[in-house]
Amino acid sequence: MPDDRFESNATTTCGYCGVGCRLETHARDGRIVSISPALDGPANLGHTCLKGRFAHQFTRNRERLTTPLIRGEDGELHPATWDEALERIATELTRVKTQYGPDAIAGLASSRATNEDCFVMARLIRAAIGTNNLDNCSRVCHSPTSFAMRKAFGLSGATGSFADVDHADAAIIIGANPTAGHPVAGARIKQAAIRGMRLVTIDPRRIELADYGVLHLSPRPGTNAAVVLGLAHVIARDGLVDQDFVDARTDGFDALLDLIADYTPQDVERISGVPAADLEEAARIYGEAEAGCLIWGLGVTEHKYGSEVVQLLCNLAMMTGNIGRPGAALLPLRGQNNVQGSSDMGALPDTHSDYRPVDHEPTARAFEAAWGVPLSRAKGLTIPQMFDAAIGGELRAMYIFGEDPAQTDPNTTHVVHALESLDFLVCQDIFETETTKYAHVVLPAASFLEKTGTFTNAERRIQLVRPAIDPPGEARTDFAILSAVSAALGHEMPYASPEDVMAEIAALTPNFAGVTYERLGRRGLQWPVTADGIDAPILYADTFTTANGLGHFAALPYQPPGSEASDEFPLILVTGRRLEHYNAGTMTRRTANLELLPSDVLELHPDDAERLWVTDGDLVSVRSAFGRIELHAEVTRKIEPGHVFTAFHFPEVRTNLLIGSSADVNTSCPEYKVMAVDVRPVSEVPARVPALVAGD
Amino acid sequence: MSTTPTTFTATIDGSTGEFAPGTTILEAARVLQATIPTLCFDERQDPFGACRVCLVGVQGAPGPLPACTTPLRDGMVVDTREPTARRVAGAVVELVLSELPEPPAEHTELAAVAREFDVTSSRWPGKQHEPRPEPRHPYLTLRHELCISCGRCVRACDEVQGTFALTAIGRGFEANIVAGLDEGFKASACVSCGACADTCPTGAITELSLLLLDGPEPAHRPEPATR
Repeated sequence: MPDDRFESNATTTCGYCGVGCRLETHARDGRIVSISPALDGPANLGHTCLKGRFAHQFTRNRERLTTPLIRGEDGELHPATWDEALERIATELTRVKTQYGPDAIAGLASSRATNEDCFVMARLIRAAIGTNNLDNCSRVCHSPTSFAMRKAFGLSGATGSFADVDHADAAIIIGANPTAGHPVAGARIKQAAIRGMRLVTIDPRRIELADYGVLHLSPRPGTNAAVVLGLAHVIARDGLVDQDFVDARTDGFDALLDLIADYTPQDVERISGVPAADLEEAARIYGEAEAGCLIWGLGVTEHKYGSEVVQLLCNLAMMTGNIGRPGAALLPLRGQNNVQGSSDMGALPDTHSDYRPVDHEPTARAFEAAWGVPLSRAKGLTIPQMFDAAIGGELRAMYIFGEDPAQTDPNTTHVVHALESLDFLVCQDIFETETTKYAHVVLPAASFLEKTGTFTNAERRIQLVRPAIDPPGEARTDFAILSAVSAALGHEMPYASPEDVMAEIAALTPNFAGVTYERLGRRGLQWPVTADGIDAPILYADTFTTANGLGHFAALPYQPPGSEASDEFPLILVTGRRLEHYNAGTMTRRTANLELLPSDVLELHPDDAERLWVTDGDLVSVRSAFGRIELHAEVTRKIEPGHVFTAFHFPEVRTNLLIGSSADVNTSCPEYKVMAVDVRPVSEVPARVPALVAGD
Repeated sequence: MSTTPTTFTATIDGSTGEFAPGTTILEAARVLQATIPTLCFDERQDPFGACRVCLVGVQGAPGPLPACTTPLRDGMVVDTREPTARRVAGAVVELVLSELPEPPAEHTELAAVAREFDVTSSRWPGKQHEPRPEPRHPYLTLRHELCISCGRCVRACDEVQGTFALTAIGRGFEANIVAGLDEGFKASACVSCGACADTCPTGAITELSLLLLDGPEPAHRPEPATR
């Protein structure tokens, strides 16, 4: 019998992490009353976490932006009409473009928004403004994964699905804490481990899943490359190489063999601190598995050589033949609900959709024909380059939607200096953020529970997003706003709805060729989707998508991280996530999740705590070469001696003041995971919110 | 030497189908669209076979069999309306209802099962569970008096989430569910995923936001978060 407690129900896709849980929403009186998991959700199988299920109260929080805001002569933001806001944006962007050229303008698309929103944003920046200065926040999370997997295999995405975990008899998780960051995937991995899948966890912290695995390795932060090269060494030494696969499907193996000769377990122990015997056992567990999975997160990518470590992980899969079969998948845990999709859509400075380079002539011509304007063939700026250019004066205006770099990007002082240097900043968001403090126009957007579109999850699964409620006040969907801004700039887009946008995405994007909302249905489709609608749960069963069809080994040596412990900064800070909150916390801090976790702590090992005269709960100061913050200590054996850990969910902590500009050598993804710091007890009552100092 | 056939043929309420060995009567019935009520069953969990609400008649069997845990045999003929099975299952539902201080809310699975068996009251009025306070949690609440000890919440916590935060305590009429060592969800190992509330067939574990829809709260229940 229908449940008459609710007035409307909708099936949608969760807007928190990259797992892509399908959700049933239940609303009454225009408010969401309850959310339950869809029983047929392929990624969540009738389960969800406390974020997807409960953290929806933010939608009706009184701080929601409900009207456009324009900064006045008095320096304050004041409510304005949509016409006023659009006119101001058109005037200012046109002025900057006329005076300094289109490359003085840059845009950030949002990995929280839909594929359609990101595609429309790409068109706004490329066609209406005329620059490739476009990026999204995968720059600061999984851009190294995308780079490395494209190099090794051809496509930027997981090679399989979460379902492969159910069929694997071994798995290695490295640099990820799924039960906190991706709780539903974490639960699925945990169940597989309980059923007997042999799980190896590799992380400087003793993550929850370590208790369900057969082996836990704690390398020093920044030494992943040595550990993975050591695993390859043992796999080769002990005769665990799948030589048939290597011969038939790959190239470059000999160079790797030469390199890994230098990474004996004893060498790796010296570099990483991982006992040689543990390394050998880990290699045998993965190497001897009939089907093994490799699962990783930002603990691999957010390093100076993050993209190289992902390439080294691809080596492991190829040398053991653990790819292209059920249970043998490489699964990068994508952080945000649509961090896969925002990049797939070409919200990047160097590629159109499907990661086709902006200077690829046939692609550029196809987009020019569809959009009716000439497009730049020159690569645009990445996020860190945008901030440098803003300070340098070459970049004059930015359009940022659904992102809060002043809280989430590294080296906060530098970011704020950049934002203050801009002539004109537009922010489009659901709340005021640290970044909107520097905006000239703020536009009120709809949340994921208030719009139509698609998200693409960590297993390349494109899933429908349907509105459960209406946006509050005068807030509009990102699709509607970006279309209106483009029209105000003189470039009318012909889409009546997000579904029209998807039709154009499908027409212009080979891997999306057969995608329609009707075909997506309740279970979604995993790209590449052929024109007749066949999708691809498992990639590379017969051939790789590289130019010669072979998987490419990469012989890349270990190199030390950008930040190392010193006398002045003797501890290594690792940053990460907590179960209860999500990224900048913009949403979860406005729900009762705050009651479950009201503030953050610095995790500190008992040995370090004793040496530093810190007891559990004490206020401590954490200082790096870039900044200083204060928070309370939690003395715990979850972290190894010499390391400390905290998250970045709370703006009042300003964790990212500590992080410098060191970044991945190939993708400029920041090195959030290794920062040398000094920790000391704080005796007096502190100023809880550190002041921001303008300028560098 | 006999060989096991690769598929079994089974007939349920006159409809016949082919099924893989290991398929349960309940799974086959759902394929053949025969209705078998369940109470302790949740497709996300392993079959438990505790409640006996899914009893069916099987030709040749000495008595009714639980559909959720009984694997098909080749040629099995099942009657979901078999009178003994229905009478026993209906009596189970009646006994379950007799323990509750109030009839189950209309939207609950227990209410649906009671409707299926036309059970509106119990012939065996007796002791009923008393409400008792439960420590505050921002989203979840546990109304012990509505618990029928089906074990679904405990199994959801173990088999779906893997947190093992819920515990079955007591025996007989005193059987109930507690979070951790009866310290409440928040102080226990609970990760607030809500899988227990999602599976609970009586609303004993439920979301505070849903309770508020039904009118004022009894005094002992915590206030909802107002943030």
